[in-house]
Amino acid sequence: MKCSVCGGAAVIKLRHAGLRLCPEHLVARVEREVERAIRRFHMLAPQERTLVAVSGGKDSLALWHILAKHGYRADGLYIDLGIGGYSGRSREASEGFARAHGLSLQVISLKKELGATLDELVKLARGKTCSLCGTVKRYLMNRAAWEGGYQVLATGHNLDDEAATLLGNVLRWDEGYLARQYPVLPGEGKLVKKVKPLVFLSEREMAAYCLIQGIKYLYEDCPHAEGARSIALKGVLNELEDRYPGTKLSFLRGFLSLHERFRPPEPVELRDCPSCGMPTAADGPCRFCRLKERVSHGAPA
Amino acid sequence: MVILKRKGEAYTVPAGKRLEEALRELGILPETVLAIKDGGIVPLSHRLTEGEELELVDVISGG
Repeated sequence: MKCSVCGGAAVIKLRHAGLRLCPEHLVARVEREVERAIRRFHMLAPQERTLVAVSGGKDSLALWHILAKHGYRADGLYIDLGIGGYSGRSREASEGFARAHGLSLQVISLKKELGATLDELVKLARGKTCSLCGTVKRYLMNRAAWEGGYQVLATGHNLDDEAATLLGNVLRWDEGYLARQYPVLPGEGKLVKKVKPLVFLSEREMAAYCLIQGIKYLYEDCPHAEGARSIALKGVLNELEDRYPGTKLSFLRGFLSLHERFRPPEPVELRDCPSCGMPTAADGPCRFCRLKERVSHGAPA
Repeated sequence: MVILKRKGEAYTVPAGKRLEEALRELGILPETVLAIKDGGIVPLSHRLTEGEELELVDVISGG
């Protein structure tokens, strides 16, 4: 199998892109696609301070690697959720990457910030684990970016993540979520601008990028992800992609071209949380502070 | 025979097949894994040779 670019030995075939690539040109393609997404959606500028949320997995570490390599002012943020032994291993992968590349990594502990690890929180609070995890991560990521004076918060969501999220939103015809699903969410007040530069790159490309670049990431999945809806949605999309290459990319691209048709049902007015001062749509304390209060009383919510 | 290792489990498949064919016979969608040998990526078109051992890395992350 020959590389579509140079004719050398290809190691990967990207059916959705009609390409066979050698290691060198796979790396070039991934980095070029990141730059394209950044430019197309006006995600960030080299002089802007960017905080990259890293989990120790392939996508976030690759994103941090690419941004730093291309001269962006990118620091890392790792949130230690306290998920059994998994969090320790994901933290090691993140810290190891930062050390190896001479990059600055901020570590936040959920136990310290909330008074409970995620494992403890799911026993106390109502709600699904992934939903609770998303709530606390979004809060802590935004707060860290705001308090640290960062202009942009970048996450490693890739094509597979976004296509699965889109399928989930479409299956429920959730117009509010569809309106908010976009590669860039502008900043507003204390809400820092959020960007997803890997939006058009597949998981397969990102894993290959890490292997070629020698990025040591954690292969392991979060133990709470077993049975998660997002995994089932990815499975369905992978079956379709196998039969009809390009399905995920055309699904997402088509949605983005129609995106302006989706509007949140009502404009959301944000207020400062009376407890922590961060923005919230709630009348009283924000969801994070309410969870913190419940944790402090040790009572089920 | 050829050994394919995935998540701590070892699968034995006959030599001579292409990697993609062997994965399909094991019920694995070929594009959901990367095959690694000596630190390098093995293409799905690779014809498996006797005594070869490949590691399969899942590329689909959850959560």
